Amino acid sequence: MEGGRPAASVSYRDVTKRYPGQDEPAIHDLSLEVEAGEICVLVGPSGSGKTTALRMVNRTVEITEGNILIGGTSVRDRDPADLRREMGYVIQQIGLFPHRTVAQNIETVPRLLGWDHARARARAEELLELVGLERDLHDRFPSQLSGGQQQRVGVARALAADPPVMLMDEPFGAIDPINRERLQNEFLRLQSEIRKTVLFVTHDIDEAVKMGDRVAIFQEGGHLAQYATPAELLMAPANSFVEDFVGADRALKRLALMRVRDIDLWEAPLAFVGQATGEVRAKLEGAEVPHALLVDSERRPRGWLSQSDLQGETVPETPDTSPDPILDLDDVMRDALADLLQAETQYAPVTDGQGRIAGVLSVEIISEFLGSPEAKVEEHAAIDRPVEHPVGE
Amino acid sequence: MTAGAVQLAPLLGQVTIHSRTGANAPCQAQESKVFCFQWAVDNFDRYTTPFLNQLLLVLIAVGIGFAVAFAFAILSHRQRWLIPTFTGATGVLYTIPSLAFIFLLLPITGLGWETAIIVLSVYTLQIIYRNIVAGLSNVPVESQDAGRGMGMTDRQLLWRVELPLALPEIIAGLRIATVSTVAISTLMVFANVNTLGQPLYQQIDFKTNIVIAAGLSILMAIALDLLLLVSQRLLAPWRRPSMGARA
Repeated sequence: MEGGRPAASVSYRDVTKRYPGQDEPAIHDLSLEVEAGEICVLVGPSGSGKTTALRMVNRTVEITEGNILIGGTSVRDRDPADLRREMGYVIQQIGLFPHRTVAQNIETVPRLLGWDHARARARAEELLELVGLERDLHDRFPSQLSGGQQQRVGVARALAADPPVMLMDEPFGAIDPINRERLQNEFLRLQSEIRKTVLFVTHDIDEAVKMGDRVAIFQEGGHLAQYATPAELLMAPANSFVEDFVGADRALKRLALMRVRDIDLWEAPLAFVGQATGEVRAKLEGAEVPHALLVDSERRPRGWLSQSDLQGETVPETPDTSPDPILDLDDVMRDALADLLQAETQYAPVTDGQGRIAGVLSVEIISEFLGSPEAKVEEHAAIDRPVEHPVGE
Repeated sequence: MTAGAVQLAPLLGQVTIHSRTGANAPCQAQESKVFCFQWAVDNFDRYTTPFLNQLLLVLIAVGIGFAVAFAFAILSHRQRWLIPTFTGATGVLYTIPSLAFIFLLLPITGLGWETAIIVLSVYTLQIIYRNIVAGLSNVPVESQDAGRGMGMTDRQLLWRVELPLALPEIIAGLRIATVSTVAISTLMVFANVNTLGQPLYQQIDFKTNIVIAAGLSILMAIALDLLLLVSQRLLAPWRRPSMGARA
């Protein structure tokens, strides 16, 4: 990586945007602090001013009142072109230049900054690799790439001059759901390496919860409704607008923020090959999970034992029921629930990193968690916490 | 107008005189309706000067027309309210019949190359201007947004993004303008420029002559058109249909 410039904080100070001829401001007295190296997602319905808020940072939209500071320096004191060359910029339609090759597209900002050809080209090839594209794509034209490849080139182009701040305006909005998820994951992996300050606009609350270290929810008229971490947002919506926007399924969304290891798992009676079935049957009495799980000598799950498996003297080598799905402690809860539902099974063994049994997850545990007073208490605690940035009104 | 008619009278006289001398040419089939190959071979050099004159006239006229139209188009690209004004003005000029245009210019520039160049370049303005404007306004908004968002100044955006992307349409305009200028330039014999119109109107009833003069003019148009087409392909490689395949 070239140099590795440190990320910069972005802070909105009482920013108001009025468009000429409109009575109501598009952005209403916005104050927001984005820490260096964090992803801040600006989310809201159309007309809520999220894109306007983003574009004031690079002055493609001018601020009417207030100020925005990048690493402590006012954007209003900067020449707009210079300012923009220090910010990565990714838009929904990607906006690759159709008449320039992939490499030439990536070299845009370095060339504007006066880098020589060789240095810019070396950087372009380095970035292609970073975003997971083959180097030999460099002399293709954008029309020869798939949508996902174009989007990766768009991200590479934005990163070309190693900007301290990245502005992304619905960057994955035009991509089909499967590729969008892949690109989101790739970007999160990339971000864990490059640690830029990212402002990310989307209208999709699921994307916001997934991508954001913090999420700013905008409501109609350019008011900031809530600025919080995704977990806080889901547990303690600041008002009815946020509650509606986050959706009735916010409890389910919360599962997206949890991993299997975060919940108390059940224990299944364990059985080993050759063990006397009498012992196993005894363990089944009053067990949390009413089925015995056959494990090998390394305690790796091999299958569930049925009634007929326990008819003989000793536990058989091949159980009736497969142990699938086997979950991992690091699986996201939402995915784990999906696996359970898809396999139409009540219980799934959970293993640790070495594949050894760590417990059993059941649909019941999840539904109890979602409806538990524990979860409700958590919500109240979150509500009582002072909200840093209350509604603008 | 009277002055124009007076100046044109000797020209018309010249036409009849030449047509009479044509009768002495060594081809018995002169009055016949068939193409006389032997006459064509013997007399081909009489078309060389008109051909070269016409080619030069077309190149100068399209060159000047392009320069003026380009300047107008760049001016109106950022001041969009100018577009209807320029389109209207060049459109009105385009409707003037070419002979009338020559007569209108007689009192100012007289007969000769100057008049011919003015008339022909003015006719190219409308087509070239409209195509440059159309090309620039068809530049994808997201390319402009991305360019500006990455820190291009207006000038950099124009020269590095907008004009290259408008190039295919600009050249398309040049092709139409060039082909039509080749055709109209034969009429510039009436401005006393020795283009292929000169032999053409001299012996308007001699089939072989008509075929050669008109044929050379058509060949010139086709050749220039192809030249521009090839340059478009070379300058805009991203538009080649064979590159449409998606990975």
